[in-house]
Amino acid sequence: MKQMNLTRRKLLKMGMLSVCGTMIPLSALEIFKPEALATTLDHPYSQKKRWAFVVDTTKCVGCGMCVKACKLENEIPFDAEVTRTWIERYVLTNKGDVLIDSPHGDRYGYTKNDPEGHDLTDAETLKGFFVPKLCNHCEKPSCVQVCPVGATYKTDDGVVLVDRTWCIGCGYCITNCPYFARFFHPVYNTAEKCTFCYHRISKGLKSACVDACAFGVRKIGMLHDPDSEVFKIITTQRTMVLKPEYGNEPHVFYLGLDHIVR
Amino acid sequence: MNHAWRPLILIVALLVVLLTVRWFLVPSDFMAKNGDYKYQWHRVGSEKFWRDEFTVKHKGREFCKQCHEDKIELVADSGHARVQCENCHVMFNPEKKGHPVDLKADFGYLLDIGIDRSRELCKRCHSKLPYRPKEFTSLTKGVKPFKMIDPQEHNPGEECVDCHDVHRTGFK
Amino acid sequence: MDLGHVHGELWTVKSFYTYPNEYIYWTVHIAVYPYITGLVAGAFVLSSLYHVFGRDELKPVAKFSLVFSLALLFIAPTPLLFHLLHAERALNTMLTPHFYSAIAAFNLVYLFYMAIVVSEIWFAYREYIVLQSQSRTGIYGVIYTALTLGSTDISEKALATDHKLIKILAAAGIPAACLLHGYVGFIFGSVKTVPLWKTPLMPFIFLMSAIISGIAICIVTYIIGMKLTKRLIDNETVKSMCQALKWFLAVAFILEAMDIVFHAYVAEESWDILSDVLFERFAFKMLVVQWGLGMILPLILLIIPNIKTIRAFFAGGLILMGVFMMRWDVVIGGQSMSRSLAGFLDYHMPILPTSLEAFKEGLCAVIILLSAPFVLLYLFNFILPIFQSKTGEKGL
Repeated sequence: MKQMNLTRRKLLKMGMLSVCGTMIPLSALEIFKPEALATTLDHPYSQKKRWAFVVDTTKCVGCGMCVKACKLENEIPFDAEVTRTWIERYVLTNKGDVLIDSPHGDRYGYTKNDPEGHDLTDAETLKGFFVPKLCNHCEKPSCVQVCPVGATYKTDDGVVLVDRTWCIGCGYCITNCPYFARFFHPVYNTAEKCTFCYHRISKGLKSACVDACAFGVRKIGMLHDPDSEVFKIITTQRTMVLKPEYGNEPHVFYLGLDHIVR
Repeated sequence: MNHAWRPLILIVALLVVLLTVRWFLVPSDFMAKNGDYKYQWHRVGSEKFWRDEFTVKHKGREFCKQCHEDKIELVADSGHARVQCENCHVMFNPEKKGHPVDLKADFGYLLDIGIDRSRELCKRCHSKLPYRPKEFTSLTKGVKPFKMIDPQEHNPGEECVDCHDVHRTGFK
Repeated sequence: MDLGHVHGELWTVKSFYTYPNEYIYWTVHIAVYPYITGLVAGAFVLSSLYHVFGRDELKPVAKFSLVFSLALLFIAPTPLLFHLLHAERALNTMLTPHFYSAIAAFNLVYLFYMAIVVSEIWFAYREYIVLQSQSRTGIYGVIYTALTLGSTDISEKALATDHKLIKILAAAGIPAACLLHGYVGFIFGSVKTVPLWKTPLMPFIFLMSAIISGIAICIVTYIIGMKLTKRLIDNETVKSMCQALKWFLAVAFILEAMDIVFHAYVAEESWDILSDVLFERFAFKMLVVQWGLGMILPLILLIIPNIKTIRAFFAGGLILMGVFMMRWDVVIGGQSMSRSLAGFLDYHMPILPTSLEAFKEGLCAVIILLSAPFVLLYLFNFILPIFQSKTGEKGL
């Protein structure tokens, strides 16, 4: 057998080749790591760095503490018949009627079984539930589209706000909201609506209504954050949005809606 | 010069005036952020107002804990563990306000704190309605039945707090 | 804190389920505004029928309808200023317009159209203005001299240029007038949240009713004007206006009827409650006043041959009433249906000025707004006589 002369050069060359050679299968492992795969997939929620809200109507008791907290937190005169958020009550009677009401937006709470003023007995009440509503902070807000002066806008993190110093009070945005989440502020006379408590969430706090709810109905978080409650609910449970047919892409996701919900 | 040009010159002059006026009156931070003229055409300074200048009113349990640590600890161990102090103690009727320390002057706290002993407050959650969820699921200790009463039957005319200790509510 | 007041609470009565923030936000002024811009468009089209299409029998009213169009145009933004909660910021629409919004288009279209009308009037009256500037003294002399814009050339060549330019402007003004009113229709037609408004037909419906109202008001004002100044009414002129009116009226009615027929046939989710609003709550306003008295009856009056002054006057008057009712029915009717599709909102326009808001949003303001164009026309007449008279000019 011919003796192989192992020169330094040959050793280095072989060494380099083996190191490079082993790098290839190792790097293949890198590519096929499950976590890496997850980020390369077109994850619909991982791209959108924006706020989202979840409402679990199966837990809502209609106490209206959220409405009260919102009014006081956001300086909406308490007795004024306008509100940034409200709770609707839906009751299906044994006669097949659907009764819907929201007395004063529910800022005083529901304490009697008297939807639309009809005093119902337990026997007459087939099913009922509460639906909290607020601005949906849509991805394609039809309200922002129609503002003639650029007084209302969407922030980089998806929250729709109004510039009180620029709004001319034409009401076009109010008319163009499918959910009627907007109104004129009784004092400032500019368009007004839920801001997700932008002044709170931007400081790491939760919206006032989220904190005020003792029953865990309301949740807010960043849509792309896998650790947030909203991400977990939206990606694992069956959620719905209100009026998707308008094409606004609302970002308040509901659990427990029913076909009778307006 | 042909007289026919005069109206046009007048119109152009007015336009120039308008554009000049516009240059002075439009805030310098008014823009289509991210080039999104459809949804982000606004005065950027407005974001600063909503984010930084608008005051935070509800400060949560941690704020009350500064002085009322004993009550906070009681509540944290009770059925009302998830109910904020502010839920019951912030008065929407300014006449009901009555906190011995001036919270606004000393702490910059802007809400009216008081004690509401009326049935109306408790009824908001505890009135029996056939469609209220019968179970309370937000406690760390697990799912508990949600206690409700018929306000017409259950000691009408009396205050709930006469018999119930709201800060201690029941189970351990 | 100052409690302020909720805008809309004064004139809205809600029944069944309506969203808590739901009120009638677009009130009578939003009906008056398209009414006035409609008259603007219609009056201008009538004037252009003479200047562009050579309908010589319309010559007696050509100048008048043009000046009337201007008077109406000046008043047009006023209902909007009454409606805005921050009218002092109205200029914002010109400073930072958001052209995705049809309302932002208003400024450009308005200014463009105003430029055309003012220019056309200047060319049409130039000979008269120059002559007056040379003969009048005092304040009138100053006004006329200013209006000459520095040019006193009334030679044959100059007047021929004027004549050509009037024709061009009158032609250019027709699409501009259509745009001025068509975009209003777009504002409503593009609101996807109001089932009554959302239709591609809306710009055309508004435009057609604008034209018929414009022609109608010219007929009515011409007859009244001639009677008041004790002049002879040219029957050929009236006949010609009625001829134009007849055709546009038929088209307008067909479009409006088609819109409703489609709604009924397609029967979307909102149809249940929409039909309730149209055929029960608004039955008298829409079926009797708007369609019956405002369109069908005038059409019959106009179709019957040998039309004379009195029939034309009544037809014109009925159409004016009917078109206003149409604006009302569209604006108020559309909002009368709750977006929850489970309730109604009734609009009760404030009648007595019991407060500033009741004045600004009520009958008083409407009366002021609808009479202002006539007042302005009367004032304009001192400077720019609207009817062919002994003005000494060769006449254009």
